[in-house]
Amino acid sequence: MALYEVFLKRDGKDEYRHAGALDAANDELALVLARESYVRRGEGDRLWLVRRDHVLVADDDFLGTNADKPHRHHDGKAVAARRRAAREAAAEAAKRAEVSANG
Amino acid sequence: MADLASELGPGGIEVVLSLADDEHLMGQQYAEWIGVTPFLEEDLAFCSIGQDELGHAALLYAVVVGDDGSIDGEAAIDQLALQRAGEDYRSCWFTERPTDDWAEALVRHWLYDRAEQLRWAQFSSSTVAALADATVRVEREEVYHRRHGDGLLDVLLGDPDSGPRLQSAVRLWAPLALGMFEPVAGEGEALADGVIGGSVADLRAPWMDMVTDRFGPVEWGIAPAQEGRRLRSSWFDPLMSRMREVIDLDPLALW
Repeated sequence: MALYEVFLKRDGKDEYRHAGALDAANDELALVLARESYVRRGEGDRLWLVRRDHVLVADDDFLGTNADKPHRHHDGKAVAARRRAAREAAAEAAKRAEVSANG
Repeated sequence: MADLASELGPGGIEVVLSLADDEHLMGQQYAEWIGVTPFLEEDLAFCSIGQDELGHAALLYAVVVGDDGSIDGEAAIDQLALQRAGEDYRSCWFTERPTDDWAEALVRHWLYDRAEQLRWAQFSSSTVAALADATVRVEREEVYHRRHGDGLLDVLLGDPDSGPRLQSAVRLWAPLALGMFEPVAGEGEALADGVIGGSVADLRAPWMDMVTDRFGPVEWGIAPAQEGRRLRSSWFDPLMSRMREVIDLDPLALW
């Protein structure tokens, strides 16, 4: 027996979505059994089956580093602070110019 | 009370009942595997096939009673399906016999599906439009049933453990299965009326060829003496009482 992952798509613009998995002896029986296990009431009008051992799986470690890169991330605070400082400097300069003109 | 009127004469009714009762009993045989097939996916598939067969029986019963979609029509179908006396059924013994052996259930599934493919085709040009229409709807589901049976046999027949068990099941069913091709007394009238396109007996040889193509040479044995399908086997009463288990609790209940 082999494990198959089941994907269904409804008519229209919806994407294929994972519906579940099933055990079957071969590809033909996987199709036959998927029909009754997952599509008995017209839950989709297209069906993909993928053998689990044909799925490429990324290592956890390989993905883990992407969750720990503070040096690459920013939350916008520094940029906001710089823009605020620039705005305040411009306002200060305009005020000084006004005082100077009236004086 | 609506006036229900069958388009069928007495012979036509008997002929249609012979297929309807087989479908009905096979539906029950499949249903009795709920929860006990070898694995979950097969459980769903096997019982769903059973539901299809029950649906096919209901289509045929509807033609027999002249169902007009009314409550009375439904009641007449229920009455016909579950409340007749044993001698008024026209099932064959092949569909009456229970089994708790998976190899036997699987082989009967295959043998029955091939026979009913041929039997339904005899109604495809029926003068009764509802019957001809039903053949199209039924065949769409039967394609799946056959693919299911063939898919399993393709894997299991060559297996050193399963193969001999399946062959032993073929030997068990062979004589009973020949009983599927025993005509009812009213067949001649149904043929003359154009209800059915040929005798069920004519299907026996082509079906036997299909079976030997699939399983190899078969020791057929002798078909049971069903007296034109009027005689019930000893398996019928216990099967029917299981089918009526709920309705027998309160025969007057309205559903």
